Amino acid sequence: MPDTRAPKNGAEIESAKDRLARLEAELIEAQRVIADLRDRDVLKTQFLSNISHDLRTPLTAIITHAEILREGILGEVSPKQRESISVIITGGRQLLDMIAEILMHARDSSEPLTLVESEFSIHEVVDQVTALNESLVARKGLTLERCLAADIPRIRADRDKIIHVLTNLLGNAFEFTPGGGRVWLNARMSPENPGNLVLVEVGDTGRGIAPDHHELIFREFAQVDSSASRAHHGTGLGLTIARRFVELHGGRIWVESELGCGSRFFFTLPVRGSAQ
Amino acid sequence: MTARVLLVEDSPMISSGLKALLESAGFDVTVATTATEAAAWGGMTGPSVMLLDINLPDGDGLTVIGALAARGLKPLTTYAMTGHTDSTTRARCIAAGCEDVLLKPVPVRQLLRIVSEAVA
Repeated sequence: MPDTRAPKNGAEIESAKDRLARLEAELIEAQRVIADLRDRDVLKTQFLSNISHDLRTPLTAIITHAEILREGILGEVSPKQRESISVIITGGRQLLDMIAEILMHARDSSEPLTLVESEFSIHEVVDQVTALNESLVARKGLTLERCLAADIPRIRADRDKIIHVLTNLLGNAFEFTPGGGRVWLNARMSPENPGNLVLVEVGDTGRGIAPDHHELIFREFAQVDSSASRAHHGTGLGLTIARRFVELHGGRIWVESELGCGSRFFFTLPVRGSAQ
Repeated sequence: MTARVLLVEDSPMISSGLKALLESAGFDVTVATTATEAAAWGGMTGPSVMLLDINLPDGDGLTVIGALAARGLKPLTTYAMTGHTDSTTRARCIAAGCEDVLLKPVPVRQLLRIVSEAVA
């Protein structure tokens, strides 16, 4: 077979050497920029983590002192004053929830999240989460229904993270459903894989989500209404974190909804843990 | 005899509120702002209840339990207080001898009930 490689003359070799040298210099510069960006990302995450922690302390103090005032421990307060103090407490607790979300997101970005798995009953977890929300449900005049199939076995998962997902989905349902509305939580074995997949649904009769926003709401910092005057405020991280937690378990999360027709959020969870 | 509460909390903004709250219910409250200060508790016996922030400027708050125990002054009941009650933190606190872990800010009625029940 003839040798197709043509002999290079001196000028071509010099030119190739120059190009190689340029490429090597560009590679070194790109590596330097990447390293610099990584350093900045670590700094940003550290800053977020520190600032979130430092925000919690004065907020904890504000809430604690406001509760002491509301309870009349330092002297009697009038019903109007009590009402006003209650707003301080509610606002403070909302801020704390948002800070917790930012902190969780910052941690997730700086170090890979791991699961701390244990065996538990989904019924117990649902009991715990719904009990925590009883007063909110009553205050908003909502109806909370739950239907858990008896054949769901004990599951192996990260209990805290599952509680977080349920709390987030229920919290959204309560927030976006007007008074008199209905919120439900159903769990059963998934028809797709009845041997090893639990299917959980959190639904509501609230204002619903347009289909072209179904993916957007799971993206970080995304809000369907991102204007400063929007009626509902939050970090835009709640569903991102929920999706992250569900996917860490090997499950899937999605929404079925139309504007004006309520929303149904679903997620699946393998019964036997993420490492099966 | 008045029950003695050792409140270990590094933020004066928080401890001033909790001190006022517990004193209003008749408890004798001592505030420590560091693990070292808490471990130097000056009573002849251990406190009835210790409310322990686990993140302190000089280190892990849970070391206070062992330090007091070594001096024969272990609190009758210890509750950890923290900003996040994940399973790992909870397990660490329970293993160190805490009765339970309270998520800050602890609702004031809940805190009064817990401390009252602990000394009953």
